[in-house]
Amino acid sequence: MSEQARMKFFCDTNRCIECFGCSVACAEAHELPVSISRRKVITMNKGVEGKEVSTSIACMHCTDAPCAQVCPVKCFYIREDGIVLHDKNKCIGCGYCLYACPFGAPQFPRDGAFGTKGAMDKCTMCAGGPEETNSAAERHLYGQNRIAEGKVPICAAMCATNALLVGDAEEVSAIYRQRVTSRGKGGA
Amino acid sequence: MKNFLFFILALFFSVSAAYAADTRIWGEMIIPNILAYGTAENYNLGPLFVLLQSQYLRLVFAVAVIAVPAIFATHYFIVGPKVFIHDGNKIYIFSVFQRIIHLLAAVAFLLLVPTGLMIIFGRYLGGGTLVEFARHIHGFATIVFLVSVIPMFLFWFVEMLPTTYDIKWVFILGGYLSKQKKEIPAGKFNAGQKMWFWMCTLGGFVMIATGIFMYLQDFDYGIATALGVSQIDLLRISVIAHNILAVMITAFFFTHVYMSLFAIKGAIHSIITGYKEEDEVKHLHSMYYKKLLASGKK
Ligand code: SF4
Ligand code: SF4
Repeated sequence: MSEQARMKFFCDTNRCIECFGCSVACAEAHELPVSISRRKVITMNKGVEGKEVSTSIACMHCTDAPCAQVCPVKCFYIREDGIVLHDKNKCIGCGYCLYACPFGAPQFPRDGAFGTKGAMDKCTMCAGGPEETNSAAERHLYGQNRIAEGKVPICAAMCATNALLVGDAEEVSAIYRQRVTSRGKGGA
Repeated sequence: MKNFLFFILALFFSVSAAYAADTRIWGEMIIPNILAYGTAENYNLGPLFVLLQSQYLRLVFAVAVIAVPAIFATHYFIVGPKVFIHDGNKIYIFSVFQRIIHLLAAVAFLLLVPTGLMIIFGRYLGGGTLVEFARHIHGFATIVFLVSVIPMFLFWFVEMLPTTYDIKWVFILGGYLSKQKKEIPAGKFNAGQKMWFWMCTLGGFVMIATGIFMYLQDFDYGIATALGVSQIDLLRISVIAHNILAVMITAFFFTHVYMSLFAIKGAIHSIITGYKEEDEVKHLHSMYYKKLLASGKK
């Protein structure tokens, strides 16, 4: 990883086979409630032969993250490696981050009285939250902290076709470039 | 009245029970939503909201909540309040029902405005439980406001329709720039009260609707479809409209409070007892007073 790594996700649509593995692995690893799905697999042009494209979407951990810019209680914090995280104990469940997000990533469990929106939940790139690393509190609120253990996020780790990539933005695009140029040439 | 309350409650519960099983935000719609983000096709609503919220909203609100009271304080010390004879005749102008409804609306506003400001300036309060509580009170007070604003609209809207002498009132700023007791052209309600009324009722209905949209977030009553926008864009339109209207309503609300509590000494009593000083009506609501005289009611 380079000096100033910027962690990014990338899903290679030429490889994604719509198996939903990433989405299920994420929900299981972080013990998410049924209403929440941090990572979604979406297929376009369903059933149209040769035009069907599937991809896996979650929070993209944007540069200058719009969600962080609009949050009225300023509960987001962006790690040095670019992972966008938030503090659920500060969040008031207002929904502003969802309006700002280009990728529909923030979600809201309806766990309050009368089904009011609870604290926002989104992909943490398996990097937990502001609580003490790997503490029970962190696990309960945000799920596993695999990054702290030096592991790859669970979704990318289990992707059987290696469609879902995660890592420094430049390295990820280098891998993708190589795939594109070598395609059909019997290479990797 | 009972039916009406029941209707409001039923509405509230039915909306909170009716979360669409298929999401209109996080399902198939996610791809078109991503593609539409920041394009002219959806009026750039996403980036527009980010710009307004991150650069202007807090600033505009800070100016409104500081400047408006500052202007009034200056007015109070330089021009001073209007004082009318309080031991003269009184004129009965607000019925019991109107006063109760107004009281409900007042309670709603005293809850809505501070909690709304707490959300906007939530970062200075550290967020968390306190601000989330404010958000819940904001939602609860909406029901109180809804219950009061509908009858209020119905019993006052005829008297609130604009007239020609309202224009004169605006030009002399209601005569508030001098302490002189002159006959000011105004009916039962002056042009300022009328502006506040329309802002509060029509604006209030928009506030309630957009507030409910944001509260429910993922619902399907055909509203977005009817407007030809996606659900997420309906939410973006709602938050922008809600916050812009909120600045104006807050400024008008401060004005209303200043007028009734400070600018005209004792004016608040009329909405408590139902009686206004004849001297006050004669000067500040001269057209109405003349009408009363002509009709022999006075
Ligand atoms: S929540 Fe949305 S806006 Fe924020 S970093 Fe993730 S994808 Fe970007
Ligand atoms: S829902 Fe929470 S994280 Fe999102 S903008 Fe509101 S307070 Fe911030």
